[in-house]
Amino acid sequence: MNKKKIVIEPVTRVEGHGKVTIKMDENGKVENAFLHIVEFRGFEKFIQGHPYWEAPVLVQRLCGICPVSHHIAAAKAIDQLVGINPENLTPTATKLRKLLHYGQVFQSHSLHFFYLASPDILFGVNAPAEQRNIVAVAQADKELAKKGILMRKFGQEIIKALAGKKIHGILAVPGGVHKTFTKEEREYFLDGKQIPNIDTMIEWSKEIIDFMKNYHFENAQWIDNFAAYPSNHLSLVHKETGAMELYDGDLRSIDFEGNELLNIPDTEYRNHFKEAVEPWSYLKFPYMTKFGREKGWNRVGPLARMNTCTHIPTPFAEIERQVFKGYTQNKPNNMTMHTHWARLIEMLHCAELIKDLLLDDDLMGTDLVTQGTPRNKGIGIIEAPRGTLIHEYHTDDKGLITKCNLIVSTTHNNEAMNRGVRAVANEVLSEKPEITEPMLNQVEMAIRAYDPCLSCATHALGQMPLIVQLEDNLGNIIDEKIR
Amino acid sequence: MKRLDNILIIGIGNNTRQDDGLGWCFLDNLLKEGYNEENLVYKYQLMVEDAELIAEYDTVIFVDACISELKNGFEIDRIYPAEKVAFSTHEVPPNQILNLCENIYNKNPKAFMIKIQGYFWDIEIGLSEKATENLKKSIEDFKLSRL
Repeated sequence: MNKKKIVIEPVTRVEGHGKVTIKMDENGKVENAFLHIVEFRGFEKFIQGHPYWEAPVLVQRLCGICPVSHHIAAAKAIDQLVGINPENLTPTATKLRKLLHYGQVFQSHSLHFFYLASPDILFGVNAPAEQRNIVAVAQADKELAKKGILMRKFGQEIIKALAGKKIHGILAVPGGVHKTFTKEEREYFLDGKQIPNIDTMIEWSKEIIDFMKNYHFENAQWIDNFAAYPSNHLSLVHKETGAMELYDGDLRSIDFEGNELLNIPDTEYRNHFKEAVEPWSYLKFPYMTKFGREKGWNRVGPLARMNTCTHIPTPFAEIERQVFKGYTQNKPNNMTMHTHWARLIEMLHCAELIKDLLLDDDLMGTDLVTQGTPRNKGIGIIEAPRGTLIHEYHTDDKGLITKCNLIVSTTHNNEAMNRGVRAVANEVLSEKPEITEPMLNQVEMAIRAYDPCLSCATHALGQMPLIVQLEDNLGNIIDEKIR
Repeated sequence: MKRLDNILIIGIGNNTRQDDGLGWCFLDNLLKEGYNEENLVYKYQLMVEDAELIAEYDTVIFVDACISELKNGFEIDRIYPAEKVAFSTHEVPPNQILNLCENIYNKNPKAFMIKIQGYFWDIEIGLSEKATENLKKSIEDFKLSRL
């Protein structure tokens, strides 16, 4: 038997374009496997020379799914350029930004669960490819699909109310926000007359967590072991309490056993992180300098946040976190597929946070912007749906951007996703007489668990069908599948 | 104001990518001619929740730029629910939205796709000359077609 190379391109049911190659030896054993990010992102470069106040508007064009996250991270950095730290924003400005952010996380998590992840969960990994999609979900469970759409819509409507439109809107300005919230806008989300209200969102979030817990119970053996591997975990946590914190906090990293590796003010990130590059991907590999490239990488996102925080500061989500933590006897959870469960708990947390804010009269305040003394460097870090998102800008004395560094969530997860691909390829493909499509789907599932937004990490154009090619060791194509 | 009654027109595209703005420019022209604004929707891309949006209308028309060569520079086709599924939520085809609408909401609006040929896709605002010609022809035809 000759050596083989398997290519999965693009990886499906993820946001953006990626490619997987799996190299197999003469005995059909997996030698190595890589997740390649094959498009180039130029935002850090072409934003140079633009006035700093354009950054929150420009950088959100990185993505059509999570523009709000980039808008807010950039805004937090730009606040500092006008001399305002997060704690100096007015209560109204902070709360409006948080509402926007939680709406974004809520809609993004809904979209991922219902549209991208639920087909695998409902139909199983071995279901025919034509069945593993949202259309089949809609046919099999109409109510689940309807709830998914309405939950996603609720988050999108929050974004529209605050930023003017659902994609690429604007709320934040340097030092604050440009608009307040009206009573009518608030009632729209509370009274349930035009769309299901926030209480319904909370109830549906609980239902979906129960659905996921049942799925875990019935599939524990598989879900606990699939693509499971030890790793560090990184996220923001509340500065004083260590609670889950999505908008502003300290950076905390723990290892796979729970030992604390890092706990620093977020603005000091540059002293503690480096980014490595590999010739086969445009996506960098961030790691903690102190622990080196091999041991210093982190997972970020829902699973990491569940591991790094001491508690969740909303009651229903905290109950669910305790159940989640109980599964691993309160130790860090390194089971990749549990990320889906963690994501749903965060969805509930965001729904609760949104309700708290909707009932807060500060939302309708009129003190929107704070002025400060300009500086030349700003760092904004938030917990985006997919994990820790870092924006850093430097300006000259005219306020023009001279340097920009973006570390998006998917970049932090680059090493983790590659390890997942290798683990699953070894488990599922090694020394098997035939490579089937469901086997390749399992490789994709190891990536899909992270909900990677490859469009954020790059910028993609054009139509790319899924092509799986089998090549021998001379590079000859010996089999090809297109879907 | 020209009433569109229970017709929704969705322009898909990005006006900062030259001819990719054709779908939006189509709507801009209808707005200038007095068509009612609430029935014209600008979108970068279709999303799953658009299945709910279109469920409220008898007719839905999708307008998008097209890179392929079209006989008259544009094409108007009747489209139907299909099970074609996009690999990412960044790209959801109209017939998938129709399918979701039918499955989830038991609604099947009459649907059309207006494809307008474009030629240039760089980061720049403004249509190319040939795309502008195609746009004009497509609008004239749309007004005559009584969709």
